[in-house]
This record gives sequence, structure tokens and C-alpha cells, in this order.
Amino acid sequence: MRSIRGFLVAALLATITLTIFLAALHGYRSSMLEVQGLLDAELTAHAHLLSAGATGQPPINAVAGLNGRHAFQVFRDGALLWRSDNAPDTPIVNRDGFQNHNFGGHRWRTYTWTSEDGEVQTTAAERIDIRNALAENIITESVLPVVVALPLAGLLIWFIVGYGLSPLRHLANHLRRRRADDLSPIPTRQQPVELMQVVNSTNGLLQRLEALFEREHRFASDAAHELRTPIAALKVHLHNIRCSLPDGDPELIKLVAAVDRMGKLVEQILALYRTSPDHYFAQLSELDLHQLVQESIATMYPEFDHSDIQLELIGDTAFLSGDRPALETLINNLLDNACKYTPSGGNVRAVVTDKPHSVTLRIEDSGPGVPENRYQRIFDRFYRLDGDYHEPGIIGCGLGLAIVQHIADLHCASIVVGKSSFESGLAITITFPRHRNHNSDSARQNNV
Amino acid sequence: MRILLVEDDLSLADGLRTAFRREGFTTNHVTSGNQALEAIRTDTPELVILDLGLPDMDGLDVLQQLHEHKNPPLVLVLTARNTTEDKVTGLDHGADDYLAKPFEMTELLARLRALDRRTNTTQTTMITIGSVALDATTHEVSVNDRVIELTRREFMLLKSLMETPGRILSREQLETRLYGWGEELASNSIEVHIHNLRKKLSANFIKTVRGVGYTVGKA
Repeated sequence: MRSIRGFLVAALLATITLTIFLAALHGYRSSMLEVQGLLDAELTAHAHLLSAGATGQPPINAVAGLNGRHAFQVFRDGALLWRSDNAPDTPIVNRDGFQNHNFGGHRWRTYTWTSEDGEVQTTAAERIDIRNALAENIITESVLPVVVALPLAGLLIWFIVGYGLSPLRHLANHLRRRRADDLSPIPTRQQPVELMQVVNSTNGLLQRLEALFEREHRFASDAAHELRTPIAALKVHLHNIRCSLPDGDPELIKLVAAVDRMGKLVEQILALYRTSPDHYFAQLSELDLHQLVQESIATMYPEFDHSDIQLELIGDTAFLSGDRPALETLINNLLDNACKYTPSGGNVRAVVTDKPHSVTLRIEDSGPGVPENRYQRIFDRFYRLDGDYHEPGIIGCGLGLAIVQHIADLHCASIVVGKSSFESGLAITITFPRHRNHNSDSARQNNV
Repeated sequence: MRILLVEDDLSLADGLRTAFRREGFTTNHVTSGNQALEAIRTDTPELVILDLGLPDMDGLDVLQQLHEHKNPPLVLVLTARNTTEDKVTGLDHGADDYLAKPFEMTELLARLRALDRRTNTTQTTMITIGSVALDATTHEVSVNDRVIELTRREFMLLKSLMETPGRILSREQLETRLYGWGEELASNSIEVHIHNLRKKLSANFIKTVRGVGYTVGKA
């Protein structure tokens, strides 16, 4: 991912480097000329000094020792009067002024000067390589600090850019830490002018989203009300017809079954919609799973009793953090399936197990079971096993386990399908983590 | 029993009135909260069947105002809101029972009969299930018309179970009905009473649902 900070630091540093380089180049060139001028002036002074010394008639063809950097020759009337030991005894130059020459294995900068009477000709020379090295030393000394300062500038830029971008970072952190269901506006206080537009637009979006969720939620409960009341009316009228007609009319029994089925389907579709993770924001509280199962069994007992099914609950108090209505729907759907697919006189067992890091609910029956290769498919919406696996006429719509899956997902719980411990039948085990990490939970909800 | 039916869905109300008439209940039907409060003021019924989604006001407000009445009628809330929270809210507001739409008519009638027994206006306080008959006023229990002797707590336990046939009562629920607050009781006292009752009644009259509680069958 591109980083604004990285880009700004690189771009600023590159700009500064380029500017400094150009300035240094210019400085180098003008300093070089300056230093050469200075050294030339020094050479001229040397020549004049030597020439003045030669008028005092020193010994002819004398040789003077000198450092390796300078050399000189003094001729009077064409005869060598005086020279340094590193200069040849024949004249190096015949013309006055500055020139470059080679002698003694080096290249030299020379200055030749003939005195006003024309008698004494003096040549002063300086080794060019040493001159250049000297000049470069001087210039480098002055340019070097600027180069050394570059990393320091880079570091400072890094921090300044970071500080400048901190409101953006704070905003990003604020948004990241937010729970998926938190649609409250972002505080606009202390936001810089540049971010105000972003924050305002985001707040507008959040507001619209909240209104949308609210409307969706209301739709679910409105639809529930709108559908439940006419179905209730239908059932009441059917009851009245049944009371006034002779008992056991086959058409009427079919009609009652069809209405029951429609009622269940509506309930299941509403439950599926209400528990879908996109719409559902679980309101967690500490719940005793054992007690919830006990309550569900107590409510549904007549259906089990009607089919003469032996029902038992094993286990003890087991607390978990969950959403009560959702968990009730989950338990009811599992028990409802167990009741539906267990033949008369069969067994259904619910087991609640309290483990150190999890709470499990296992519901098993002595029905025909489900072939292993269908284990995954039974959680698909509207999937129903073929008639071979249950008695004909069992009312079902294929949504019960899809809802169970939704609710398990809401609770970060895992579902394992297997064989029951009875001779035949299905066992569904749901494992709820006890301590749920709210961060990972909201992160998961974000991904949905 | 005189019932005030507060329901804005006319088709449902019509069906219910027909069913109630067959059961021998007198029904007065209104469609709004204000009408309901007015009806209760002028002629207090014994039972109000209250829909929560009314056109003019929330059913819960009706429930609250109704309880300011000095002799409030029993209230059965009948509503399309069916989450546990709704149920708890309804009962907290003073409803005596709660039934979610769509409901089985037989279930509604059973609950009405149970509430009817509480109003004490009907002559019969007899509950008969199978071969067992229980008289709530005389505290007499008979099996196949033969009167049997029960202790006070055995009678209360059997009455609790027979008042809610087909439903399971947990040991905790039975304990709170049988024993006062803070009263000493042995951890297995309910089991002991059940054991004794089974000896006096037919053995499988009271069924045990392992891990959940006890029940008496409907038939």
C-alpha cells in the first residue's frame, strides 16, 4: 500500500538533495577559480621576490634546496644564476606570464617575469597536482558538512511529516477501533480543515446507513406482524370449521397441515432474515445454556409427548456469552428437527457440557440419521433430504439448520455433525467459545 | 366468563368471537386502545385479551393504565411480537399470560380455561385428567372416583402439575410454589413427594423428563 508519509519524505529529500547538489557544483567551480587565482598570486609574489634577490649578485649557478611543491630558475643575461634543486639548468620558459609545462616528471604551473632592465628573468613554478589537491581539500572541507547534513534533514523531515499527518492517523485508528455496529458520528472537534470534508462526508454516510439499518430492522418486525396476524386468523377460522364439521374430514386435515406448514415457513424465513449476520447485531449477555435448553424442552414437550419420544437433558449450569433470542431459536430448531425425524417411541437426548474454554450443546436422536456425504449440505437453505430419510408427510421447509448455522456464526461457535450414540440417528454438536474476544468478533463482522 | 377482546384485525377478532361463543364465553370486541380503556371503565370484564399492536396506542400503555383500575381484570396478551424480551416486558407490565401469534386455538382455549379458574366465578373448580380428579376448593383428590388421602404439600404439587397439563414444571419451579421464601427444604424433597404421589396415583400419571422436570399428560 502506498504511504503518504513515505512519498512525502522521499520527494522532499530528493528535492533538497538535488538543490544542494546544484548549489555545491556551482560553489565548487567558483571556489576552484578563486583558489587558483590565489595560488597564482602567490606564484607571482615568489617570482618578484626571487628577482629582487638576484640583483644582489649571489654566487653563480647556485642551487637551493626547496620542498617538492615549488621550483624556480633565475637567469641573468641568459646565464643561470640560481635555481632550486628540482628545476633543470636550462630555461623552462622563454615567454613572460603564466604557462603550464612538464619537467622533472611532473606537470607545473609556471610564472615567468623579466625585470624592467631586461637583465634578470625569473621563473617560479608550482606542481599542478599538489595545487589541485590543495584546492580540492579547501573546497571539500566547505561542501562536506552540507552532505553530512542530508541524513539529518531526512530524519527531521520524517518526523515532521509524521507529525503533520497525525490527524489522519488518528482518524484511521478511530475508524479501525470502531465496532461494526457503531454508527455514531465521528467527533468533528479538533479535526484539521483538510480532514473536515472527509469527516463530514463519512458522518453523512454513517447517518444514512443507520437510517437504512433501522428501516430494514423495522421491515423485519413489521413483516412479522403483518404475516403472523392473518395466519393466526386463518388458524382460528380453520378451528371453527373443524368444530362445526364432523371430525376427521381428510380434506380438512390436509388444509390444517398446509396452514401449519405455511405458518412455520413464515416463522423460519423471518428467523433466517433476522439472524443473518448482515442484519443482526447480537446483544450479548451472560446466559446459562443449560437453563435455556431446559426452558425450550419445557415449551416443546407436548410435541415430544405426542410422538411418545423419550426426552432427556444431561448436564449442569454452563454460562456463556450469547444473544438470548438467537440462542433460543437455535435450540428450538435443533429440538424441532430431532422431534420431527425421530419415529414414535424413539429417543432424543440433549447434553450440555461445561469445559474450561468452551460450552458445548449436543442434541442427538434415534431417527434414521443423515448419510455422511450430506453432512455439509443439510446446512444449505431450502435443502431437504430425499423421502428415504424421513417418513412422508413430515412438515419441514429446509431452513432450520441454515438458521442454526447463522446463529452459530454470530456466536463464533463451531458445528460438528455426526452419528448419535443411539443405534441410529444424527448428533449435532455446537461448541461455543466461552471467552469471546470482542475485537476479533467485530473484525469478523466487518468481513461479512 | 366475560371477555373483552382488543384486536384491530377484524378477521381474527371475528374468528375468535365465534370460537369463544362455542366455549360459552361472552365476548365484547373493540379495535383500539381508547375504546378498550373506555369499555373497562364502564363494564369491567373478567378477562382482557389484548393485542399489543393497536392503531391508536401501544398495547403496553393500555396494560399500564388498565392496572390503575381498582379491580383490574386478568390480561392475556396476544401479539405478533414474540421474542422473549417482548414476553418479559409484557409480563412485567402486568399481563397474566402471553401468547404469540400465530397460535393454536386449542392452546389459547386451554390458557383461557386456566385463567377462568383463577377468576373463581365459575362453579367448577374441578380439574380432571384421565382417571384423576382434583377439587381445588375442597382439596379432594380422587382416582377412579375413589377419594385418596394426600398431604398438604402433595396436594399443592399435584395441583400445580394438573393446572398446566402437558407442560413441564422444573424442580425449582415446584419448590417455589410449595415452599415459602427461606423455608428449610431438603434437596430431594420434591423427589420424595413425587415418589409418594406415584404410589397413591397410578405409577405413570406423573411423568419425569430427565434433567428438566415433571409433567402430567393432557389426556
